[in-house]
Amino acid sequence: MNKTRKIVIVAIVVIIIIVAGAAYYGNIVDDDPTHIVVTNGQDEPDSGFNPLTGWGCGHQNFNTLIFSTLLTTDDNGNFTNDLATGYNISDDGLTWTVGIRDDVLFSDNTTLTAKDVAFTFNTAKTSNSELDMSNLVEAVAVDNYTVKFHLEEPQSTFIYNLRYVGIVKADGYDNETFGENPIGSGPYKLVQWDKGEQAIFEVNENYYGETPYFTQVTLLFPDESSLIQLAKSGEADVVQATLTDVNQTVEGYTLVDMPAGRAQGISLPNSNNTGQTTEDGNPIGNNVTADESIRKALNIGIDRQTIVDSVYQGHGAVEYTGVDSREYGNAEEGSVSDGDVATANQTLEEAGWVDSDGDGIREKDGVRASFKLYYPSDDSARQALATVISEQAKTMGIEIELVGTDWDTIYDNMFSSAVVMQQTSADPYRSVYQQYHSKEYTDDDYMNPNGYNNSAIDTILEAGMTATDQETANEYWKEAAYNDGEGFSPNGDAPWLWVATYDYSYFVADDIDMGTAAENNGQDVLMNIVEWTRTNTTS
Amino acid sequence: MTNKNETKQWTLYNANLRTKTLVIIGLSLLVLVLIFVSYLFIDTSSITTNFANANQAPSLSHIFGTDWMGRDMFTRTLSGIGLSIGVGAFASIISTIVAITLGLLSSFNKFFDELVAWIIDLFNSIPHILLIILISISFGGGFYGVIMGVGLTHWTPLARVLRAEVKKIKTTDYVKLSSQLGKSKIWIATKHILPLVTSQIIVGVILMFPHAIMHEASITFLGFGLPPHEPAIGVILSESMNYLSAGYWWLALFPGLTLLIVVLLFDLIGENVEKLLNPETAQT
Repeated sequence: MNKTRKIVIVAIVVIIIIVAGAAYYGNIVDDDPTHIVVTNGQDEPDSGFNPLTGWGCGHQNFNTLIFSTLLTTDDNGNFTNDLATGYNISDDGLTWTVGIRDDVLFSDNTTLTAKDVAFTFNTAKTSNSELDMSNLVEAVAVDNYTVKFHLEEPQSTFIYNLRYVGIVKADGYDNETFGENPIGSGPYKLVQWDKGEQAIFEVNENYYGETPYFTQVTLLFPDESSLIQLAKSGEADVVQATLTDVNQTVEGYTLVDMPAGRAQGISLPNSNNTGQTTEDGNPIGNNVTADESIRKALNIGIDRQTIVDSVYQGHGAVEYTGVDSREYGNAEEGSVSDGDVATANQTLEEAGWVDSDGDGIREKDGVRASFKLYYPSDDSARQALATVISEQAKTMGIEIELVGTDWDTIYDNMFSSAVVMQQTSADPYRSVYQQYHSKEYTDDDYMNPNGYNNSAIDTILEAGMTATDQETANEYWKEAAYNDGEGFSPNGDAPWLWVATYDYSYFVADDIDMGTAAENNGQDVLMNIVEWTRTNTTS
Repeated sequence: MTNKNETKQWTLYNANLRTKTLVIIGLSLLVLVLIFVSYLFIDTSSITTNFANANQAPSLSHIFGTDWMGRDMFTRTLSGIGLSIGVGAFASIISTIVAITLGLLSSFNKFFDELVAWIIDLFNSIPHILLIILISISFGGGFYGVIMGVGLTHWTPLARVLRAEVKKIKTTDYVKLSSQLGKSKIWIATKHILPLVTSQIIVGVILMFPHAIMHEASITFLGFGLPPHEPAIGVILSESMNYLSAGYWWLALFPGLTLLIVVLLFDLIGENVEKLLNPETAQT
């Protein structure tokens, strides 16, 4: 009896200690006002915080915390000097010379010189990343503070590389391990990375720019479905809101929409299926979408505004060319009437697509107006978009069969079927030139997957690349969208069906002031982190 | 066995156990057939989106509520369950074929008997869900992948029962006599053994059904089965998880309950059919 009692007492004491301990440690509240916890519009980088590898490069996301770039963007969207003191382009457009500041230290107290800059670009060329440096012959450090970029061919868009490539420390760089121990010259440095969970950044004392208000930034990598809980529990100050969450209200938080130029739309194969395949044997071409009248009819008949209001619940805008919101976008000439089913039907009938067997789907020469539309099954926005597009197309007598699957399967089928794609790059080299310039089909190359091929437009795009200043280049990009009845816009050759630009929405704690965000900054909210402050420090 | 028992079983009306059993089977079957027939008559393309009606709680116009795209959850649940029953049926057929083949194979000789026992053990030793996922991925996923995944993994209990039964039958005199008369092993297996194990097969198949449905739902729930725009019960349930925190309880409750009821009905049928076919188990 006594023994049992003893055991019971010991058990109770142990339980109390465990519970109390768990409650204490589980509830350590970080109430330092200069610490901030955020989730941004990006997944955790698999290969670590390395601007030269992985999926996210070309975007700012975490880069902006640890690394600085040669150029930056001011509040008006213009490129201004950051690490650079200025740049000039040779008359033949083949050599870019950039001056570097002489007062910049890396977070490990070593000096940033032109050698690091040259190393960064030369490494980016071979680091197997999303950065396309194929046109760069070599970057050479002329002296400690001047770097020369030698290009294969003139490339007006090279300036976007100066803007978006974070400069890494050359000495001791290792492509495999740098992501875990990044050394840069940005406002913060990485102090802790719990893979799959969070990364903690502390202020970099050596930063040459404005000293940020927040001394510690914690970047969380939660599942999409648990994002809203981070706001509801007050665990994070800035939380990305998914489509599921945007109609909810969270006490103490305001839902902020940030345009990001995130265009979503459908790639429609432009060539006929002649039995041709890629090297890996993936089929090319689609006999339905290759018919321009089908693509035009979809572009005219699909009701984009309704989709923006329903699928995106108003958190976006209609999109016609994929780059409407960029300064080189040309929605004025490129757009067509929206949701005009009557004209769409007329277009189809004139082209010979009629429903002769009464099943509600049109046919032409024995071919049913039916094609497959692939979407990534883990992306609810694209799923909803695909579903609604398929419903709307049906009213025009076009059958769209949905296939929700993984990206590997999509890449195998993107040359022969429609795919729900997304365009987020600010760089016209990617978003216009690579997207619409004709090219050979290469497996896994998702730029211009539908094989748009118009030699007149190719010529304009090439002229855009060789332009020596941004304004002239932008004029060419605009012309490529619509020029005399041709171009990559719906009003031209309608190679795509762009539908909407989808804003990034964030729940922002009421005491956080995010400063003035640059235009189309929604995906890279941390870009102006040095301007962020906490207005109410009593919490 | 006297029927004068004081602690009388529940009675809705006076009938003997056999009639009751038949009534239970009949009613359950009726419900399941009704569900399946109404599924066949649903045109899945009629489940259209209506974002103005998104996330509505159950009401008279939408008795199961609506989902995030404003689609009627009742029709979606019904087509999901119908799809599950379809997958269950196909998978059960595949499983039964495998089980019968292996069961009869075990009658040939000691080597085959050992081999069958070894295959059964092998399949049983691999976690079920994992095996289903592996098989359905290797068959390319989708509807076909799910059927193959579920079908090729659910035969082990039936095969085990059949093997035991076959062993028993093989000791009988007429089997020995047949083999002495020079009848082939295949002849004995199909003429003497198969007819005797039919009742085990029928019960085994019916009891396999609920398992198959549950496993179809679970791997679809885990995202390895059907694509998310299909109204499959697993897809519906996994989607509903995202909305629990928002308080949209109906998205999970009704489809989950429907799945449960369907599975229980199949179980009920299986148990009662067993009572009819193997009367010795009826009073236990």
